Amino acid sequence: MNTTATTPVFGVRNLWKVFGPRADRVPGDPLLADLPQADLRARTGCTAAVRDVSFDVRKGEVFVVMGLSGSGKSTLVRCLTRLIEPTSGTLEIDGDDVLAMDGSRLRELRRRRAAMVFQHFGLLPHRSVLDNVAYGLEIQGVGRAERRARAAGFVEKVGLAGLEHRRPGQLSGGQQQRVGLARALAVDPEVLLFDEPFSALDPLIRRDMQEEVVRLHREEGRTMVFITHDLGEALRVGDRIALMRDGRIVQLGTPEEIVGAPADDYVRDFVRDVPREQVVTVRTAMRPMRADDAGNGPALPPGATVSEAITAAAHGGGTPVRVVENGRCLGVVDPQTLLGVVAGVTPPAGKAAA
Amino acid sequence: MTPTTTSKQGPGEKRPTAPRPTAPRRPANAAPGEAPTTPRPAPAAPTPTTTGAGATDDGSPTTVVPPRVPDDGSPTTVVRPRTPEGGGAPPAARGATAPAPSTAPPALRPGTPTPDGGTTAACTPAPAGTGTAAAGGRRAPWRRPRVLGGAASALVLGLAGALLLGGGGWPAGLTVDLSAPLDDANQWVLDNRDTHPLFLYFLLHLSNTAVDAVNAVYGVLAAMGWPGVLTAGVLLAWRAAGFDRRGARVACVAFGAFALCGLLGMWDATLLTLALMVVAVAVAALLGALIGLAAGLSDRVDRALRPVLDTMQVLPAFAYLLPFVLVFGTGTPAALFCTVIYAAPPMARLTALGLRSADPGVLEAAVSLGANGRQRLWTARLPLARRRMLLGLNQTIMMALSMVVIAALVGAGGLGEEVYSALSTVDVGKALAAGIPIVLIAVWLDRTTAAAGDRLGATAPRRGLLHGRSAWALAAGGTLAATLAGLAFGTTWPRGWTYDISTPVNRAQDWIVDHLSTGVPLVGGTQVWSDAFTVGLLNPLRDGLQWLPWWALLLLVAALARLVGTWLSALTATAALAATGVLGVWTKSLDTLSQVVAALAVTLVVGVLTGVACARLRWVERWLRPVLDTLQTMPQFVYLIPVVALFGVSRAAAITAAVVYALPAVVRITAQGVREVDPAALEAARSMGASTRQQLFQVQLPLARPALKLAVNQGVVLVLAVVVVGGLVGGGALGYDVVKGLSRGEMGTGVTAGLAIVCLGLVLDRITQPTARGPRP
Amino acid sequence: MPTGSPTGNTRPTHGPRPPRGARTARARRAARTATAVAGALAVLALSACGAAETGRSQRAGDTERTVTLTVPSWVGAQANTAVAAYLLENELGYEVRTQQLGEVLAWDALSRSDVDAVLEDWGHPKEEKRYVEERKTVVSGGDLGVTGHIGWYVPKYFADAHPDVTDWRNLDKYAEEFATAESGGKGQILEGSPDYVTHDEAIIRNLGLDLKPVYAGSEAAQITAIRKHVAQKKPFLTYWWTPQWLNAQVDLVEVKLPAYREGCDADPAKVACAYPRTPLRKFLNADFAKDGGKAAAFLKNFTWTTEQQNEVALMIADRKLSPEAAAEEWVKDNEAVWKTWLPK
Repeated sequence: MNTTATTPVFGVRNLWKVFGPRADRVPGDPLLADLPQADLRARTGCTAAVRDVSFDVRKGEVFVVMGLSGSGKSTLVRCLTRLIEPTSGTLEIDGDDVLAMDGSRLRELRRRRAAMVFQHFGLLPHRSVLDNVAYGLEIQGVGRAERRARAAGFVEKVGLAGLEHRRPGQLSGGQQQRVGLARALAVDPEVLLFDEPFSALDPLIRRDMQEEVVRLHREEGRTMVFITHDLGEALRVGDRIALMRDGRIVQLGTPEEIVGAPADDYVRDFVRDVPREQVVTVRTAMRPMRADDAGNGPALPPGATVSEAITAAAHGGGTPVRVVENGRCLGVVDPQTLLGVVAGVTPPAGKAAA
Repeated sequence: MTPTTTSKQGPGEKRPTAPRPTAPRRPANAAPGEAPTTPRPAPAAPTPTTTGAGATDDGSPTTVVPPRVPDDGSPTTVVRPRTPEGGGAPPAARGATAPAPSTAPPALRPGTPTPDGGTTAACTPAPAGTGTAAAGGRRAPWRRPRVLGGAASALVLGLAGALLLGGGGWPAGLTVDLSAPLDDANQWVLDNRDTHPLFLYFLLHLSNTAVDAVNAVYGVLAAMGWPGVLTAGVLLAWRAAGFDRRGARVACVAFGAFALCGLLGMWDATLLTLALMVVAVAVAALLGALIGLAAGLSDRVDRALRPVLDTMQVLPAFAYLLPFVLVFGTGTPAALFCTVIYAAPPMARLTALGLRSADPGVLEAAVSLGANGRQRLWTARLPLARRRMLLGLNQTIMMALSMVVIAALVGAGGLGEEVYSALSTVDVGKALAAGIPIVLIAVWLDRTTAAAGDRLGATAPRRGLLHGRSAWALAAGGTLAATLAGLAFGTTWPRGWTYDISTPVNRAQDWIVDHLSTGVPLVGGTQVWSDAFTVGLLNPLRDGLQWLPWWALLLLVAALARLVGTWLSALTATAALAATGVLGVWTKSLDTLSQVVAALAVTLVVGVLTGVACARLRWVERWLRPVLDTLQTMPQFVYLIPVVALFGVSRAAAITAAVVYALPAVVRITAQGVREVDPAALEAARSMGASTRQQLFQVQLPLARPALKLAVNQGVVLVLAVVVVGGLVGGGALGYDVVKGLSRGEMGTGVTAGLAIVCLGLVLDRITQPTARGPRP
Repeated sequence: MPTGSPTGNTRPTHGPRPPRGARTARARRAARTATAVAGALAVLALSACGAAETGRSQRAGDTERTVTLTVPSWVGAQANTAVAAYLLENELGYEVRTQQLGEVLAWDALSRSDVDAVLEDWGHPKEEKRYVEERKTVVSGGDLGVTGHIGWYVPKYFADAHPDVTDWRNLDKYAEEFATAESGGKGQILEGSPDYVTHDEAIIRNLGLDLKPVYAGSEAAQITAIRKHVAQKKPFLTYWWTPQWLNAQVDLVEVKLPAYREGCDADPAKVACAYPRTPLRKFLNADFAKDGGKAAAFLKNFTWTTEQQNEVALMIADRKLSPEAAAEEWVKDNEAVWKTWLPK
């Protein structure tokens, strides 16, 4: 994962969102700020949906916020464009202070810099697919002919060509979400925000849509913030994952870090059933090259997963697999190591390397 | 006790805690698919008054009254709900044609319904005071006795007081005479209307513009000739309903309606009425939409407007006709503005409801794309509210039509004048000939707007010559062609093409009266029933109410209202009843109250039984539907004479008129409620082998409770709406006073009686509609 | 897992960042708002520019050759209007509009010249004082020639059987026969529409009669009730008046109340005498009376007898002719009568 030194797309520091009467006293008061949710509610009548959250979203990455329902993740993503007004903290987009923006600058932000895809689509039922996709452009003030022409391209891009004149009510859930996606893409935003976009869809369609997102990301490299309650989905699409619980981020890291080194029991419990071999890379699992290792085994890049290494090892007749980067051998994984990863017994050694 | 509840409540009792459930704000008619939510009428519902709720969802009731919009639950009104939504509306519903005539509205209360479903557990001890019980929707069992005890002790106290202190009316010292200030205002208007700038620079322009607009429309209609108007009516219906099979059916209805108007010899009168309606509906819809916009976008405006809308609908038009005539002049202007006042509330309510109930997800999406307030309104909220607004338009049309005859009282002419002049010769046949076109116009417009509503956004627009703009052009072209043809042919309805129904109708009426009024073996006859009803029920009820000391009655009302509602509703009910005393019409109000209560009882008993029959037997419903449509839209003036002929000049006749008017809405709402009971619950009952009776009494009726509540609410509103009509057939009391105020030019008398009717509406609403209580700490 | 971050921004750029569209849309919006505001102001300004014409008729198409008459709700007055309208149209060439109105409303309309004439007025002292004496917007058009009389009536078959019922002193004797469910044990006297002048409550109280007024609420209801009683030959007592077309179908006999003396009805609460005989009068709008030319002159001349009015009224009420047809028929047969009404 290459970290660029540029300004993060989103810079979030100590962000709070508290619902309830006189919510603004909560973040500043250490006595209240640390109370568990139930106690806070009993004491003040307030609910802290987002508590003291800080993170950066880097340019070009898919940043996933994951948590169970009620963990504050949907509130968090809405705070990013102030669909929900944060209670306190700082929030920057490309270095601009979002919380300081006035109404028109904020609208400009929403119109051109960040577009959102919603769990329940939020399509206009009285408009055709094409006009729904063009809706963001209409709000920007783009003329009718131009916006329709531009929208048509995005309709095609999400695979809905031929359905331009249908109404949302005539589409399946998956198709509707493609419309939602096209609508967000059509305004050409710097960052796409996804609020549990696929949780209302059937599993098979969900998988298609996830692949669609991965493909789009690969093709365009657009920064994305992706909210989900589905760990599998998070692991599949995310470059980095922030795991939330009760409004706090309990762990922030790559999928591999989350799965390989859970920060606490909650996270561990969460990732217990994840097939580790599909997440852990050989870079993490490898051991240094030893003298007795054959130099001619199968070779894999360090970013390959353990399961890929298992396949390679199996094909190679059991010889250790070499991890090669730029022609240099970084280490090897032998069947022993691989089995250890699958069984969860070997603590990934290379944690620090990530 | 369900194992899952931990509360200590008694078995099965769950006490809703829910903070006002607000129910859903749905309009009354929701599509069937939508769950009906709220039952109570509160204010908003389209339903009439009360309940709003919905009216039923979907229901169709046509009813009348204005609905209040549900938003909040309170329904008040009703109005007929047709629901445009959902195409699936049960036939009944859609059928309604509703006209509501009166629509009344009222909503008198905005309460929120309580769903019974609250689950919460906490039980708070009820404060049981005397007389007040706290009760809410459902109460824990152990509380009920205390509550009842409280009420009973209040009652006993009242009776004892009455015996000890003697009965009596409202103390004269506690009255305020409104007549003097009102008559002064009256005089001021007379003295200043020719000179004061307010009149010269504003009000007179209004009334002149009104006249010009109506004349212009009439001029166009007259110029089109009968072929042009007929064709336009048919093509408009067809185009609005879509050029397909359903559209063709609606077009047939339109054709039949217009052709019958001509056949009955009422063509010219129909055009005049149509011209007035077009302008009145346009103004009312615009005004209603603007008010609704304000109420939909601002909670404060909404709260402030609700009582205003309620009053606009419950206050009898007779009461404000006089000031309007003084200010705007007789004829078109006064008729137009009165109609607008009466017809605008449903549009306002449903617009506000539509705006408020827009899918929050869509709105959020719009905001997330950077839409500003205006863009959100125009691109999302208003389009999403279209169906509700169309329902509002439908209701507005029906209400406006119900004012046709009243408009004739101030010289608006048209069909109303025909009805009215037929009364002077006691010619039922002629009145019927003029009343039928009103029903037909209502049916035509109802079916057309309903079909248009069902089509809205339902499917993708089809393309082709028969769709979109080209279809409008086609319709316009057809009309033009017919108009031109008409010029050749003659623009007035051919003389020979009329049929006089007056003689056969009068003969039939005489025969019926002769044979049903007295001397019918076994059952006695209508006059006998009327006398027995008056002597056995009405007189004791009225005399009892009037005999009770005023304070005992106030106490009793407070206790009843507290029993079913909150402290606030008790307070409102008591204050409203006291207001009738303060206005100086205590005795008359109690007389009217006794009639309204009796009419309500009859309406509910007959209406609920019929409604259940409709829900369970398709054929009953099929046969009753046109009857109900007619009862609702036919101007009451048409059946005044038969009612008097059958029941004599009596309060029983007045009650009959009220029952006839209120029954259709109650039947429809009940039928709809019973029919829409969750099929899963019914299926479960059936799977356990429940008999039909068990299904009805254990599942359908209990689950239809919200609809039944709505039915009560609507019943109250509708019965009150015809108190004035009752005054025309011997009801006396407040209704007579309202008419007297108008016909003698005594503004004080009419307005006072009108306000007292509004107060009675509040009292009845509060003591019949349980409210949800607010969250308890 | 794709981990590589794109190095370049591959986003296609469509158009300039602040798309032209935005600017134009904003401009358009501003323009629209400006137009709306300007439009509203223009309307206000226009309407404020001129005071509305106060005397403008509320019915369109009125010209100098148009005469507007009221049509009261009772048939006798409809007969007046129908005959006058027929003659105005066919003999004098006017266009006549008729407007149905309540009596008090008609006075107001007369005052604002929404209508030009009321042909049958039963006496509205309050309005007469206000409009004729004070505001001078209405002038008297003379007597109609018909005399109206209000009184208490019983059916002839009952009076024949009980001749003494026609004296008010004996009414109490028959109270029981007149009683209905509505009158609660007392004798019922059937009252009519709230339009009508009535002192019955005062009369009953002041004469100490065992009667109770029951308000029918409308003339139609009262007539229906009377017909129903007659059909069943039941006794009844009713407030009633002449001329009335129903009198030709139903024989009613007046009950003698204490004789009317000038002023005995001055205080409505103390009335204890019969109703007076009222010569019915015509009233014209003041401007119309002055400038109405032949039409005004004709309406002032218009006068006929109770019998003549009844003849036309019966055609309307009994034979169900339209008022126009009835007027035509009467005019054909009575040329000598109406010739005298035409202005020379």
